[in-house]
Amino acid sequence: MSAADAEAVLADALSAGSLELGEVARLEEVVDRRALGEVCRSFFELFSIPVRVFSSEGALLADAHEEQEICRYVNTLGNGRRACSKLVSEVKGIDPEAGAVTHPCFTGAEYRIVPIVYQGRRLGRFVVGPYMPAERREVPRSLLVLDARLDGEAARAALQEMPRVRAETIQRIGDHLARVLDLILFSGHRAFLTSNMHLASVKESFRELVDKNTQLQQAVDRLRELDRLKSNFLATVSHELRTPLTSIIGYSDMLGSGIGGELTEEQAEFVETIHGKGEHLLALITSLLDMNKLEQGTMRLHREIMPARALIDDLQKTLAPSAAKKGVILVTQVGEGTGTVFVDPVRIKQVLFNLAENALKFTPKGGTVRFTANVTEAASDDDGFGSVLLSVPRRAVEIGVIDSGIGIAPGEHDKIFDAFYQVDGSSTREHGGTGLGLSIAKRIVEAHGGTIRVESEVGKGAAFYLTIPDPDDA
Amino acid sequence: MQLDFKQRELTIKLVYYGPALSGKTTNLQAIHELVSPESRGRLMTLETKDDRTLFFDLLPLTVMAGKGLQIRVKLFTVPGQVIHNATRRLVLQGADGIAFIADSQKSETNANKAAFLNLRQNLTENGLDAAKMPLVIQFNKRDMPEVRSDSEIDEMARKGREPVFKAIALRGQGVIETLVGLFELTWRRLEKDHQLGQKFGVEETQLLADVRAKLGVKRVAREATR
Repeated sequence: MSAADAEAVLADALSAGSLELGEVARLEEVVDRRALGEVCRSFFELFSIPVRVFSSEGALLADAHEEQEICRYVNTLGNGRRACSKLVSEVKGIDPEAGAVTHPCFTGAEYRIVPIVYQGRRLGRFVVGPYMPAERREVPRSLLVLDARLDGEAARAALQEMPRVRAETIQRIGDHLARVLDLILFSGHRAFLTSNMHLASVKESFRELVDKNTQLQQAVDRLRELDRLKSNFLATVSHELRTPLTSIIGYSDMLGSGIGGELTEEQAEFVETIHGKGEHLLALITSLLDMNKLEQGTMRLHREIMPARALIDDLQKTLAPSAAKKGVILVTQVGEGTGTVFVDPVRIKQVLFNLAENALKFTPKGGTVRFTANVTEAASDDDGFGSVLLSVPRRAVEIGVIDSGIGIAPGEHDKIFDAFYQVDGSSTREHGGTGLGLSIAKRIVEAHGGTIRVESEVGKGAAFYLTIPDPDDA
Repeated sequence: MQLDFKQRELTIKLVYYGPALSGKTTNLQAIHELVSPESRGRLMTLETKDDRTLFFDLLPLTVMAGKGLQIRVKLFTVPGQVIHNATRRLVLQGADGIAFIADSQKSETNANKAAFLNLRQNLTENGLDAAKMPLVIQFNKRDMPEVRSDSEIDEMARKGREPVFKAIALRGQGVIETLVGLFELTWRRLEKDHQLGQKFGVEETQLLADVRAKLGVKRVAREATR
């Protein structure tokens, strides 16, 4: 059910007016007909006087009676039948405004009609009768002249059967029933209001939630737009920055190589610094651009099948000089049958180089950095439900960069892949780096459909593993 | 407000608002006790099992006034607990006048203030003009220790524009005065908007006197200063 449907249903259920003023518009709204019927029956059992309850429109809501002997007799006569139905419709039509009234029957019996008033409103009436006033002894003329075939003795006998009640008693009985009905109405009304209020409160809370959701959605949309603007800005600025930077690097390089004339030792050192910092700045800007491309999903991968060993050997060769300089031992280990891996060599080498550089950076003299490659199975990102069908196992190659350096506390494992995050802010200054390396590495690996994870404890070195799955069979 | 010309019947909704436990229900209970039985209906309370108001209390009063005009007054209370705001807003719908029941205890000053700001906001959200809403303020629990003094309240009343009443609702003091005061303000507002007096041939002074008499008020006890 849609939100609008739900609201419409609730609106129907509430009929706002009745809730606003807590009114009862109709008797039928608040009383249970069966309960009303039972009250009438128990009343009839107690007093043997028939009772009927009518709504304000005159609909019969409850009824407890047995046909009286006299009524049965009168109805056998043509005139009697006519007179009786005329009287019954008369009694039905009486809607007493000012209070209870008594209406006579041609048999000498009476009906008492009592209005049902609730919270200052007439909601209906009940009719008690027919009963015989205790004071009446004679068979009235109106009965005797009714029909030529009427037998006076039979009529008298039938009238004897009728319950006899004194005027003040019938008044008391009427008042009593009025009070009972009032209580039934009150509890019905109370339940009616309570359930309506429950509904209305739910509706109101629902409306509040919808409002809040709309506000949240707007906030999200605004943030998305800002994020897009930021990316565009970053792309433009990075690009514009690179152009002059290329000149700075180029000219400082030329200056350093003595094209512009011999430099003193101090000048050469200064120019070297300018060149070095220029390169660093270029690396940073390039990283930012990569990051941005990865975020926007505009980085294109040129994947090819290549031996895993080639990657590892290449890595070992590139890092060997700086490892030797630092006194760190490099070890490579490629598992049996590792075979090929399906990657964009430029990008994956960038990732591996970055990891290896980090490993070197944080490993002290005499330590070891190991590069490994092994066959494994692509990790399923499913939670297991139906994984038999959903994720068919795939061959994958796991490449590891393992050092014996300072390690990373477990609490940091998730955060180190966030952009610009560094375990210790001071390490940027001490060890260099942009804080983008791992974040870019993660995104590149993910762009290959792979995963990257870290295993490490403080003081026990760190191991980074990337898992690159083979291409889909399909 | 609901008008029935055929039945010569006017229904007015008055809402008792205020912070939790300030005595809104107690006001209605006191009114129920003080008003003559022929004028009042049963007091209906929709409460939780810990006796705190869940949705509202409802006390219907019926007064014949002027030339056969039946005035039905429905008194509602709102739940004071902060979390029931949706209910408060619902009960406030269609209100013709409001009695704000404040707790006189100094410690409750902020609760009074918060409840009043909440009232103002809920009125606005219900599309009711707070500036035009007939409003009286009752400082209840005058018998408690550590309450604002009479002179402090009088001083506040002089600065404000709403009539202020003092009450001890538990003992029935000041509750009828508050009710009648609110009824007068409400009648005047409705009269201004709908010319009820002219339509029903009702004269204001007579009507208000009738209402006071029917509600069992022997004297015009206006402790308030305008």
